[in-house]
Amino acid sequence: MSLREPAWRVTARELESSLEEEKGEGERPATYLLSPFAARMNRVLMAGNLSPAESIGREESQAFWRARLSDPTGAVTVTAGSFQPRAMAQLRSASVPRPAIVVGKVHLFRGRDGVGYVSVRAEAVRSVGEAEERAALADIVRQTLDRLDLLERVEKEGELSPESLRNEGIPPAWFRAAKESRVRYPNVDRGAFRRELRHAVRRVAGESGPSRSTMPPAPNVTVTRAPPPRAPPPAPSAAERAEESLFLDQLDDIADVSADGYADLKEVLSRVSSHGLVGERAETVLNRLEEEGVIEEPIVGKLRRA
Amino acid sequence: MLSGLLSDGTATVRFTWWDPPREGVERGVVLRAVGAEVREYRGRAEVTFSWKTRVGPASPAELPRVDGEEIPFRTIQELKPAEEGFRLEVRVVRIAPKTVTVGTERRVMHEGLLADRTGAIALSAWSDFGLVSGEAIRIAGGYVRAFRGRPQLVLDERSSVVRIEGTDLPDPAQLLRAPPRSIADVEDDGGGEAVAVEGIVVGLLPPSGLVYRCPTCHRSVRSGICRVHGQVEGQADLRARIVLDDGTGALTVNASRADTERLWGVTLEQAHERLRNQPDPSLLEEQMLESLLGRRLRVRGQGTKDDFGVTLTPESIEPAEIDLDAAAEELLARLGGGG
Repeated sequence: MSLREPAWRVTARELESSLEEEKGEGERPATYLLSPFAARMNRVLMAGNLSPAESIGREESQAFWRARLSDPTGAVTVTAGSFQPRAMAQLRSASVPRPAIVVGKVHLFRGRDGVGYVSVRAEAVRSVGEAEERAALADIVRQTLDRLDLLERVEKEGELSPESLRNEGIPPAWFRAAKESRVRYPNVDRGAFRRELRHAVRRVAGESGPSRSTMPPAPNVTVTRAPPPRAPPPAPSAAERAEESLFLDQLDDIADVSADGYADLKEVLSRVSSHGLVGERAETVLNRLEEEGVIEEPIVGKLRRA
Repeated sequence: MLSGLLSDGTATVRFTWWDPPREGVERGVVLRAVGAEVREYRGRAEVTFSWKTRVGPASPAELPRVDGEEIPFRTIQELKPAEEGFRLEVRVVRIAPKTVTVGTERRVMHEGLLADRTGAIALSAWSDFGLVSGEAIRIAGGYVRAFRGRPQLVLDERSSVVRIEGTDLPDPAQLLRAPPRSIADVEDDGGGEAVAVEGIVVGLLPPSGLVYRCPTCHRSVRSGICRVHGQVEGQADLRARIVLDDGTGALTVNASRADTERLWGVTLEQAHERLRNQPDPSLLEEQMLESLLGRRLRVRGQGTKDDFGVTLTPESIEPAEIDLDAAAEELLARLGGGG
């Protein structure tokens, strides 16, 4: 049974700080983005100022639009494509920034350098009045504080049971998210995050936030991931690129004619060695391609494109 | 063959009679069976009258004497489907007669809601006990069945109802004023009677907007065809299947025509009028979504759960307002000093 994923109430800052993913269970597992502040999100609800959208679709038949949603704590990218026709129409319709509520699925894109970029694939977008935006923000901040409180308790009390928390009105899913957050983000400056939330509360009170028209302030919430992020590998040189493409060409050729669609590792290595890519250097290329997720080895000795 | 239910006042079991009398058996008749077979089916005892069984008429005096004082008390929370042989002290929250057709016979039954300190349960009474909302009663001889996945207490002519003081039973108004619960909690419980939740509208499920219903059974009509009554003249109706989300979970609220008109601010007649000017019916749904999306609602009603989650049949849908100044003050206090 797969119930509809709830829309976690999050601020832009929390979403920006989320860099850890988790796969769900079941036949068609959903992907969850874990935040440092105890959210385990598949879907989110956000409120803020939505910028006019720009088209980033490569072809006319595959329309894709992108806008920025800024709230008093930060800003995130909101996208919608032809699979979200309603949300896309809403994104396209505005020519000036306006307050809006956005419901959508979170996406984590990790670039070649290992840096994560979070965006929201909008399912529903609605322009709202200022009072509605403030009410939604109040809801977002309240639930964020509820989760921060839960994190503190998980840290201090240790012996919490999902049943007793449920009786207090805290869903088991939140408890689970809090425990996982603690493991994935052991060093998080929650104090700094709380200070960011004050901007959001001022907005709830009716003061125009600092990020109304300008970009959000420089991020001062530091998040350390566990495992700590690796230093980004040096960009591959032109020679390395050439080796990679040689390796991939040979792999494709072999896979094309093989019965099972896999390329035999030994065969690939022997072919690339005849082109001068031998021994340790070939291994290095293989490892790099695997690490970057270009190819995979689902069966020992059998390669394919990932 | 004949099958049905047998009861001797201590329990009710299903029975199968392979060779019943030609003239049939009257409901309420007392029988004596010697050499009946008992087997278990899905964890419940079942009685079979086979060729080895001698069945004959008997007098009610021969039924085992049941001492009412020996029947154990249960609370509503403890009741599970297929449970019987218990006593219950409850408050009648509401009760209303309803005419139903059983086979060819039209019967009047009474539907309602009962509550004690542990919860609430739907009531379906097949005979009239003269129940009035607000009174406290002690019930014996009822049984629990599952109706749309929720336990329901069934009373019939063998059940007994006694009025009691019921000082420790909740006030019905109190039950109907209960604060909203988290949707995650309602999902965990598989729905519930008189459930209150509060959340934000995050979407509409089809079919929402203008729908056509069978004039006989009110099922929605597709291409002019009712699932049960075939080709019919569909009657126009407005409805909204609202996805309500409170951040812990989401459920579907099936809003009636009156609720939909009130929330949307467009009546069925006005929707028809719009359709004349913009003949695309999907635009209506779009406009309805546009007006509902992001709105905060407090909904109270009966929740049932299936594979797609919880569906709430609302008794009331009200816009929920947030006092922004009070909220800001409260949130600031929670954020604490510093910063």
